[in-house]
Amino acid sequence: MAAAILAALGAAVAVIVGVAVVFAVRSRRDVPHAGQKKEVRQLDTVGVGSSAALGSARRGPKGTDVHVPSGHEPARKPADSLKARFAAVGVFAAAVFGTLAAKLWSMQILASGTYADEAQENLYTTVSTPAPRGYLCDADGTALVKNRASLTILADPDAADDRDVVQRLSTVLGVPVGVVRARMKDASGGAQSQRVVASDARLRDVAFISEHADAFPGISVQTRTVRDYPYGALAAHVLGYVGTATADQLEAAAEGSGLESGDDVGQSGLEMRYDSLLAGDHGQRRMVVDAQGNVVEVVSETQPSKGSDVYLTIKAPVQYVVDRALAALVAPEEGVIGTGKGVAAAAVVMDARDGGIVAMGSYPTFDPSTFVGGIPDDVWELYSTDEAHVPLLNRATDGLYAAASTFKAFSGLAALEHGFADAARTWDCTGSWDGFETGAPQKCWLHTGHGTITFREGIVNSCDTVFYEIAKNFFFAGETQGGPLSDTALQEAIMRYRFGEKTGIDLPGESTGRVPTPQWKAEYFRDAPAAAKWQGGDLTNLVIGQGDVLVTPLQMAVAYGGIATGRIMKPHLLKEVRNATGDVVLEFQPEVVDEPDVDPQHLATVRDALHGVIQDSASLSAMFAGQGIDAAGKTGTAEHADNSGDDAWFACYAPYDDPKYVVACVVEHGGGGSAVAAPLAAEIMGAVMAADAGTLDVAAGRIAGSTGKQVEKLDLSSATGARTD
Amino acid sequence: MAQPPQISSVKMPDASVAPAARARRASRFNLPFLVVVALLVGYGLLVVWSAVANDADYSFSRQAAGAAAGAVLMLVLWHVDYRRLGEMWPVFLAVNVALILSPHIPGLGTDAGMGAMSWIKVGIQVQPGEFAKVTVVLMAASLVARYGGKLDRAGEYAKVLGILLVPFLCVMTQPDLGTGLVYLFIAAMALVMGGARPKFLVVTLVAGVLAIAAVFLVDEFVFKYETSPGVYEYKLLKNYQRNRLLVFLNPDADVTGEGWNLKQAQIAIGSGGLFGKGLLNATQSTHGFLPEAPTDFIFCVLAEELGFLGVAALLALYVALLLLCFRIAASSGDLFGMLIVMCIVGMWLFQILENIGMTCGLMPITGIPLPFVSYGSSFMVVNFMMLGLIGSVWRCNNAKGKKDGYAASH
Repeated sequence: MAAAILAALGAAVAVIVGVAVVFAVRSRRDVPHAGQKKEVRQLDTVGVGSSAALGSARRGPKGTDVHVPSGHEPARKPADSLKARFAAVGVFAAAVFGTLAAKLWSMQILASGTYADEAQENLYTTVSTPAPRGYLCDADGTALVKNRASLTILADPDAADDRDVVQRLSTVLGVPVGVVRARMKDASGGAQSQRVVASDARLRDVAFISEHADAFPGISVQTRTVRDYPYGALAAHVLGYVGTATADQLEAAAEGSGLESGDDVGQSGLEMRYDSLLAGDHGQRRMVVDAQGNVVEVVSETQPSKGSDVYLTIKAPVQYVVDRALAALVAPEEGVIGTGKGVAAAAVVMDARDGGIVAMGSYPTFDPSTFVGGIPDDVWELYSTDEAHVPLLNRATDGLYAAASTFKAFSGLAALEHGFADAARTWDCTGSWDGFETGAPQKCWLHTGHGTITFREGIVNSCDTVFYEIAKNFFFAGETQGGPLSDTALQEAIMRYRFGEKTGIDLPGESTGRVPTPQWKAEYFRDAPAAAKWQGGDLTNLVIGQGDVLVTPLQMAVAYGGIATGRIMKPHLLKEVRNATGDVVLEFQPEVVDEPDVDPQHLATVRDALHGVIQDSASLSAMFAGQGIDAAGKTGTAEHADNSGDDAWFACYAPYDDPKYVVACVVEHGGGGSAVAAPLAAEIMGAVMAADAGTLDVAAGRIAGSTGKQVEKLDLSSATGARTD
Repeated sequence: MAQPPQISSVKMPDASVAPAARARRASRFNLPFLVVVALLVGYGLLVVWSAVANDADYSFSRQAAGAAAGAVLMLVLWHVDYRRLGEMWPVFLAVNVALILSPHIPGLGTDAGMGAMSWIKVGIQVQPGEFAKVTVVLMAASLVARYGGKLDRAGEYAKVLGILLVPFLCVMTQPDLGTGLVYLFIAAMALVMGGARPKFLVVTLVAGVLAIAAVFLVDEFVFKYETSPGVYEYKLLKNYQRNRLLVFLNPDADVTGEGWNLKQAQIAIGSGGLFGKGLLNATQSTHGFLPEAPTDFIFCVLAEELGFLGVAALLALYVALLLLCFRIAASSGDLFGMLIVMCIVGMWLFQILENIGMTCGLMPITGIPLPFVSYGSSFMVVNFMMLGLIGSVWRCNNAKGKKDGYAASH
């Protein structure tokens, strides 16, 4: 650049010099011009007319050998009187050659390297051949996500300008002209990239286009490798989906990751989390290419290598049972939400011993196979409506719900630890409690009251009054009230089971949840100081998992795993990674996040109470006995202030005496926990226990994506105030 | 024409016969001039050979045939006394108009697929506008020479200027701006060297600049029309011409169309480095990145294959040729001969400046070939005709000078 500027300056100087010379000439010329006589003489000597005359005159005396005296000769040359103009033209010529030489010097000597690189860049083109992604397999090696070949019709960037081509493509593919043109003009993959006109084209159409190639200039057919989902929407939220890398992803891609424009990239779920493992290495063809893009010769070629296969802790048959059960519960009739219980549901099945997720379901769900080659606009619009209830949301990890009475296991443990409860102590439940004497009593779910009740019975019957008293004890034991304990002693005890923080599962987008504290409340209501004060009522809500408590089903499963085994496991989906040759290159090691410092006596008391929840209830014990399981668990019914239908919870683990699996499930606006969530949990627990014993007679099948439909008049009234636990 | 009898009539001592014969041969052919021309033409043919070696659209033998035919024509003109053509400017004007407008004759003219009606088909395809350069030079020289080196009356100046503009206006009907600019430069050289008053020249220059500005303004405000939504076309200047100017002003503006051409031309030149990539090894032109490589962009092929040394050699040959021409012009015994030589010098100078200048981004892109190098047999023949005219001027005056010298020595 500097050289170019120098050259330009040189040229400018040369031009200026030239102009100056012209003016100098002019001033010098003025003198001879002034002499009228001299001009006449010159005219006689040098004019063409006179030259011809001179010629004939010369011819006359030619024989005499006498010529114009040589002494006069210089005056006869016309150039002599125009010397200054010769000089000016000479200077101009010198400026021209000087400028050209300077410019060429700067280009060929000073900037030669840059240009040479650009010439190399022109000459060689490296084309990447996309690598197939690795498979996602379940624990037994059943492929849940595979690859298949897809015939893709591609258009060159400027092919859309040819109206005839667009028209013909529209006719052949049976797609409206406007849609074809829009796809051909879609430059999201880059201005120079080929545009996808149709993916998964019919062989018939492809054959027609190939045969009539001259009628389709700029149109080509490519066999691409796309994702294949043999089980449809099975575990869709866990597996995630892939899509063409967005501009942001390309920019954010790590150096050396090899991500290229047009590559498929995991956009959610495990596809996204383990993208670097699943993505293979591009093959490369380095070619000499001419300006028209014709390959002159292939210099070198490396084959693409398939990505690693990721094996999951998921067991496909159990996952199938979960997904099927959720769909049957929420939308049993033609996939229309509102024909069953609630509007959405989620379930998590975790191996309590190592944190492996055996199944994770969320309904409504989606079929990733419809997302191959980009989410179609109509599906996107359908799933964006309120009636669809966010099918892309993984409610198991991102759905936030009030924990309700399932929380009592943890607040109970806190009470035992701080001496606000013990096996011998009894409470008196009248169905109404006003321990803070506010004049606005809080109700136990059983409005008639449980009468005199022990701690164990309080959990088994889910008596709120017992826990209101416990909360009241915690409140007045807080230092703000002059007590010996921290104001957040109850929260701290509960949070040992990892509520209010991410579980660390290997899925993107996990929610944190919330265990309210005075500090949180002050911050949350900082614009409304009147509401920001921490009150006893906050603790009585918290203690029964209501109010501002928010948990995810996964957090619930992890916490109940903690109760069952005494250890908080980090939940995980990855079991092992196998490379293209089938060798295990990475194996997940179970990770104990924490072993809550809890008195084993207290833990035993709570476990016994949770066992009692099922054993002492005729309906619940029947459900689990029917599956041949001895489980411990807890119901929950989260009430919404707007009476929009309670959320039904059930969390349990089994076997009671040697816990192997934890199941946590929630049914959004589904109704009572024992009536709606418990049967679901029992069915799922039955399946996972059977699978564990090798007796599950269900094979994984295809799950359908959400229809996005809902009954016209959604009636959730039956799910409101139905709490029996 | 009159020399041989003159010389033979001179009585010489016997001992002087042999040297005199040598002097005669030498005086008929200006040796340094012919050597430079031979080197230049040979160099040009070498580059063309390399540029067209792998391109079936061009034929090296046709180019060589053009050079051979040109050489013959040069020798013929060399022996014609240019002074016979002295007063014939009206004839040249008529020939010019006829030649330049001939492609418009239905059935004869063709645009050769290039967009401008610049070619005629007479067995082979020729570009009459190329040949008209010869008659434009002769017309300008004979027209201006009439004023004997002092063209200082406004009325006369205007008349001369008007006549000189005729070929330009004719060629713009094709339209061929590149050739038109060459005509203009020939005319300007004739006016400058013909002794037009500097004031007139400056006024003409200013008027020319204003005219260009006026063309743009009139186009913008009167003739702009929309061909399709958002796409505008102009009547006076074609869009490609506007684009070339815009690209010249801002080379990075667009690298797909005109800017791409310029970019590729510069890559070709710059990547040549000091020594070049060697003959036949130009990757930019052989792989089609250089448009029109053997014709308008031949300089890039030379620069890429032979590097800065090759470029410097070409420029040195041009400088040598022009210096020799200067000398011939300066020693010319009449204004007409001097003007012929200087008009040709001006024409070559402009073509060299424009052709090389456009490839390295100093000038806007126009289709002007590089003298003695660019592919094109019409162009080759025309340049040889120019050489023949210069030779004629030299022969007529130099031979006389030699004889005078000889006579003086006695």
